This record gives sequence, structure tokens and C-alpha cells, in this order.
Amino acid sequence: MQKTLKNDIVFVVFFIRLRGFMVMRYFMKEKIGKIALWGVLGAVSLLLPACDLIEYHPYDVRVKSQKINRRNIERIESAFRDSDTIRFVLMGDSQRWYDETEACVSHINKRNDVDFVIHGGDISDFGMPKEFEWVRDIMSNLKVPYVAVIGNHDIIGNGAEVFEKMYGEENYSFIAGKTKFLCMNTNALEFDYSHPVPNFEFIYSELNDTVSYDKTVAVMHTRPEDEQFNNNVKLPFHELMKRFPNLQFCLHAHNHSTQITDVFDDGVIYYGCACMKKRSYLYFVLTPEGYSYEEVDF
Amino acid sequence: MKRLIFSALLLFFLCVSGGYAQTKHDRNVERYKSSWDRLIPRYAKLQFAGSMGFLSAGVGWDYGRSKHWETDVLLGFVPAFKHDDTKVTLTLKQNYMPWKIHFSQKFMFEPLACGIYINTIFSDNFWARTPIKYPSNKYYSFSTRIRTHVFLGERITLNFDPEKRKSDSLSFFYELSTNDLYFISAVSNRYIKLKDILSLSFGLKLQFL
Repeated sequence: MQKTLKNDIVFVVFFIRLRGFMVMRYFMKEKIGKIALWGVLGAVSLLLPACDLIEYHPYDVRVKSQKINRRNIERIESAFRDSDTIRFVLMGDSQRWYDETEACVSHINKRNDVDFVIHGGDISDFGMPKEFEWVRDIMSNLKVPYVAVIGNHDIIGNGAEVFEKMYGEENYSFIAGKTKFLCMNTNALEFDYSHPVPNFEFIYSELNDTVSYDKTVAVMHTRPEDEQFNNNVKLPFHELMKRFPNLQFCLHAHNHSTQITDVFDDGVIYYGCACMKKRSYLYFVLTPEGYSYEEVDF
Repeated sequence: MKRLIFSALLLFFLCVSGGYAQTKHDRNVERYKSSWDRLIPRYAKLQFAGSMGFLSAGVGWDYGRSKHWETDVLLGFVPAFKHDDTKVTLTLKQNYMPWKIHFSQKFMFEPLACGIYINTIFSDNFWARTPIKYPSNKYYSFSTRIRTHVFLGERITLNFDPEKRKSDSLSFFYELSTNDLYFISAVSNRYIKLKDILSLSFGLKLQFL
């Protein structure tokens, strides 16, 4: 009798760690105990989805809807409405290089000559919501606003939906100073024909307005002639880009190294930034006279 | 198949040689039945979360000396969310409980329950191998459909009164797990901490055999 009592006391000590003393007391009283146990389990299962540690599936899209692009575009458009010089950073392919992305953010934060940052896509490596959250948390430390375009890795699994919730639409545009930035999803290989990539309807609708800005910069994750691009339409795509007022150049990421390519031998340059692993980004300055760029290692 | 032919032959001999063959046949049938009997699940499990679905339910088998080992098969689901429809998951889980502490006749505590589980999700959005549309089968060097998880946890078991019982015991357990992709993200980055990659789950196990 004594021994069982002693054992029960030891058990109680262990169980306090698990469920708490109150539950334990009920538990010991048989019937009420069972009800209490189920009650606690029920309450736990109702309350826990709010807890960070609870995950239904690595690809489950239950992430906070934030529309980061939309919010940051408002900041960019209002802050630089009257600027005739625009200075921005193109970085990309953060993928699984969180430490390097963090270093990149702190390097950009040390400068005071950056108006905003463009993330060229491949935010995540496996398209999992948690990766988007990690990169979002790192990028949120930027002192200047940033926008992100969707990369092929951001589409894997339920990635496209996570991107939509976290950043907003996959095709969008904004005007900084007098320059229109046309940001597009060009990762055609990730989709079937049911999903138009590049979306010409979007491009044509953007072409309806050619008066509220002087210059254009096209932004995409993967450029014509890359394996991801729908190369069947690379020429029409490029011709459409050239129809935009005073197209300066096109920007892309994806190829993990700095690339300066005159893809169609017509003087329109596609600038590609290196991946975060290479600890490098591109810095652009748009002035009324023209533009300059620089490759920056950090 | 071999066994079937063997049984058929035995049946034939049974007609021919009477009593002796019948007992041998009976023994074989007995052995045959008992080998199938081992496939009868010994417990049912219900698990909440753990990156294998919202709820997973299934059955399993315990074995080894002192039943330190358990293998479960669990079917789960991830509820629909916006454009994403409900998805079914399947989990194969191997458990190992090295210690069993009997506090009293009624309560048993397992200070460590650890193991591995492999989870697959049924959806066209996910692939086990890189689909052929990609230029190389190493274009994406991982599977989005099949995840391998490792876990650590604890268990507490309530043994039912042998007189009144309908089943043997009910266990409550919790687990902390992580999966292959989270793990490689964490080992290659100081930024990713252990708490970032852990997934918590709870479950119940009802032993009935």
C-alpha cells in the first residue's frame, strides 16, 4: 500500500511536467478524470493552431496574408513621386542561403544611397511556407521598402499561393519617380497552359497607359532563352517590352551569377544578379540623363 | 501460393490416409492461421498535427521483448484552405520506447518515445520524382511529396481495470518532430534555430490486443 502511494507521488511529479497538477487531480478521480482529460485535449487542439509549433503539413498554406508588395509599393510611390533620380538594388535567389541574405540586408542597411530593393525571385528553396516566413523576417529588417517577384522555386508545391498571400499578385507594376517597373511572372515551365506565363493580357493592359511615366524597367525572375521561359513567345514578349515608353533595360535573377546579356542583339540589355550564396547584388541609378549600374560584393 | 498447393495436397492425403494426416493438416492450418493472426492490429492511434495532416488515424503493431518497438500506418488529412482543397496523407511510422516506468498498476510512463516517419501527400501538385517536363531529373533535387520526419516525445499510459475493461490501455503522447528539408535548412544556416524547425503534435493510443 505504502509503495503504491510512493509510486503515485513520483508519478504526480512527472505528470506535473506534462499536464499540470489540476488535470492530474481530476485524472485520479476516475470518471471526472476521463472527462477532464478529454476536455483538456479538446481545448489544446482548439487553441494550438494559433501556436507556431503546430503545423499540419510543410506545404500547408495557412500563412498570414500580408500583401507586402502592395504595402511597399505605396511607400515607394509616395516617397519618390517627385524624384528624377531613382537608386535601387536588385538582389535575388535567397533560396536556402539565409545567413547570406541576412548579410545582404545588413549591407544594404549600412548604405544611405538606396531608395528601394527588388528581390528577383526564388525567395524560397523548396516552396514551403516556413521558408517564405524566414526570408520575410530577414527582409523585413530592411530600412528601405522592397518588392519581390515570383521565382520558379516559389511555385513548387503550394508556393504560388503562399507568394500570393505574402506578397500579392504575380504580375504587377509600380511607378517610382518617372519610371515604371513592370514586374512579371515568367516561370512558364512550372505551369500548364491553363495558366498564362508570361501573361500577355496583363502586359497589354499595362500598355494602355503610356503617359503617366517617362521610362520603363522590366523585372522578371527568368529571362528569355532560359529553360524556364516560354521561348516560343520570347520574341513577341521582347517586342512588347520595347513598346513601353523608353525601355531602359530588363532585370532578372535565376542564373545564380551576374549576367549582362544583349539577348536579342538589339541593344536592350538583360541584367541578371547573382544568388545570395555568391554574396553579390546589383546597384542601379536611374538619372534623367541615363543610368549606371554597379556589381556590389558584400 | 505454395502454401495453398501444400494445403490442397494435404487435403488429398487426408481423404486417402485418414486420422494421421488430419492432425498434421490441423497443425498446418493452425500455423497458417496464427501467422495471419500476427497481422491483426494491436492498437489504434489518433494524432493531431505533426506535419502529417491536421488529424491522422491508424493502426499499428507492437513487438520485440517488452514491446519496445511499434510500427504504425496512419491515414490523415489536411483541411481545405482557400484554393487548396482537402488533401489526404499517408504515414508510415516507426516508434522506439527504450524505457517503461511503471508507477503503479494503473499508470505507466515512457520518458522517451522516438522514431522516424515517412509521410506522403496525395495531390497532383506534388511529386516524388522530378517530373519529366524539366530539362534534367536533378533540376529539383528533392521530392515535394515524400517527407521523412524524426521525432522525440514522451508518453503516459493509463491501464484499464482488467475486470471492467473493453480495451487494455489508453496512452497520451506528445512529440516534437522535424523533417528532412527543415533539417538541411537549419544545418547550413546559423540563422535557422532549432525552435524554427520543430513541429509539435499530440496523440492518443488505444491498445486493444
